[in-house]
Amino acid sequence: MSSLPRPIFLRVSGGTLARCFFRSLFLQAAWNRRGMQNLGFAYAIDPALCALYRADPERRREALGRHLGLFNCHPYAAAAILGGAIYHEERVAGGVEPPSAPLHYKATLQGPLAAIGDGFFWTALRPFFGATAALGALLFGWPAVAIALAVYNAIHLTLRIAFFKEGYRRGDAIVDVLAELSLPALADRLRLGAAGLCGLSAVAVASRADNLSRAGTLAVATAAALVGYLALARGARLLPAAYAAILAGVGTALAVGRIHGRL
Amino acid sequence: MNYLALGVIAGLAAVERKGFLQAMLSRPISLGAFAGLALGNVAAGLFVAAPLELLWLGSVNMGAALPVNEALGTVAIAGGTVLGERTLLRLGLSGPQLLPAVAVLAVACCAPLALVGRRTDRLVERWNERLFERAERELVAGAPEAAARTNLYGLMLPFGISFLLAPLGAAAAAALIAVVARWVEVALPALGLGWVAFAGFACASGARAMRAERAHFAYLAAIGIGLAAFAATALAGGRA
Repeated sequence: MSSLPRPIFLRVSGGTLARCFFRSLFLQAAWNRRGMQNLGFAYAIDPALCALYRADPERRREALGRHLGLFNCHPYAAAAILGGAIYHEERVAGGVEPPSAPLHYKATLQGPLAAIGDGFFWTALRPFFGATAALGALLFGWPAVAIALAVYNAIHLTLRIAFFKEGYRRGDAIVDVLAELSLPALADRLRLGAAGLCGLSAVAVASRADNLSRAGTLAVATAAALVGYLALARGARLLPAAYAAILAGVGTALAVGRIHGRL
Repeated sequence: MNYLALGVIAGLAAVERKGFLQAMLSRPISLGAFAGLALGNVAAGLFVAAPLELLWLGSVNMGAALPVNEALGTVAIAGGTVLGERTLLRLGLSGPQLLPAVAVLAVACCAPLALVGRRTDRLVERWNERLFERAERELVAGAPEAAARTNLYGLMLPFGISFLLAPLGAAAAAALIAVVARWVEVALPALGLGWVAFAGFACASGARAMRAERAHFAYLAAIGIGLAAFAATALAGGRA
């Protein structure tokens, strides 16, 4: 029984891949309305293109030019697309795929990965750790903040590196890897947890304050937390509502002080 | 020197926030502490950081939508708080209610800077289109490395804008606090309660930003549990 010969591609080295990944951390450095993250993507993939087309500067120029087209994705999830684009560029350089293959790959995946990244990282994981750090700061001070940030970054960097590696290793099959992670379901739980942490923070704020009386402070903090939530749910704008909360707190204190003859 | 340190922190935060890494180092919870550290008062920085983190928990950069620039607002507020408190201490004011009173004035003075920051972010995006054109020119001229490197020039303008605006905001807040020092002395408890109300509202803002089914239930249940725990602790303390 004979097996089919595997096509031999040009491969970029591990060091070049590491350089590409590091450069991907600058993906949004020159975000612009015409090309969005295009400059960042071209900057990130350039070491790989340089390695693949070392002997042919004209092909390298063409390759970089095609990556200057519009691109926009979540900055963490974009690492998977960068890895996959290098995977395809290796095949383009080896003559196995047409030059349009990396562009099709990017165009197909950028939308879905942006949705997954925004939905999981920006609206769930980061707020969850933000709320954890805030509550920790109120209760335990800066060590809690340091721990929350360390855990967040351990998770985020692990996933970012894994996305890049899997994108490079599997190309289009990266979608299956992401589907297995069930990030949307996890995101929902994290949002619920973050909302709960915000509620606990409202009580922690009052317990840490030293105003008028403990009971009065608790009443003001709880009222602001409840009325503020209702106002925002009804469409109140954030900063005007925040000013209204401050004025209400100051006004309450002045009124109570006047009643008790302190002011 | 204080303002220079504040400017550098704000500039680096502007870079980290969008252009490089995005590791939560430019979120209010980190930035408040960093700004406090740079000005020699971590505790005051952290004091404002937690409510500001919750206030702007939903401030995220999704797609082409621009959120308010919470990093710029945070550095100015934290800086204004530390410098304002220092001014009042020098004038002889003291007490546990001094920090909340100064913090609420700094918030009132500097929070709109977050909206200004959003406008400048839009300007930066337009400016970056020129970098795109420059990269295209470099590529046509046969300099692919220079074309790729153009991306890094996009870090300079956000750094510069925040480097200038954040210390200006902090200086404005510190100056305002110094001007109203006598009034602050009389109204310390009232301003302190204003801070408590602001912090409570910030928690509501954070919870409201969590768009999940039953998020409101989780929020209300947590407040209830917190209040029960608070009451239990108070009762136990009373008996003892």
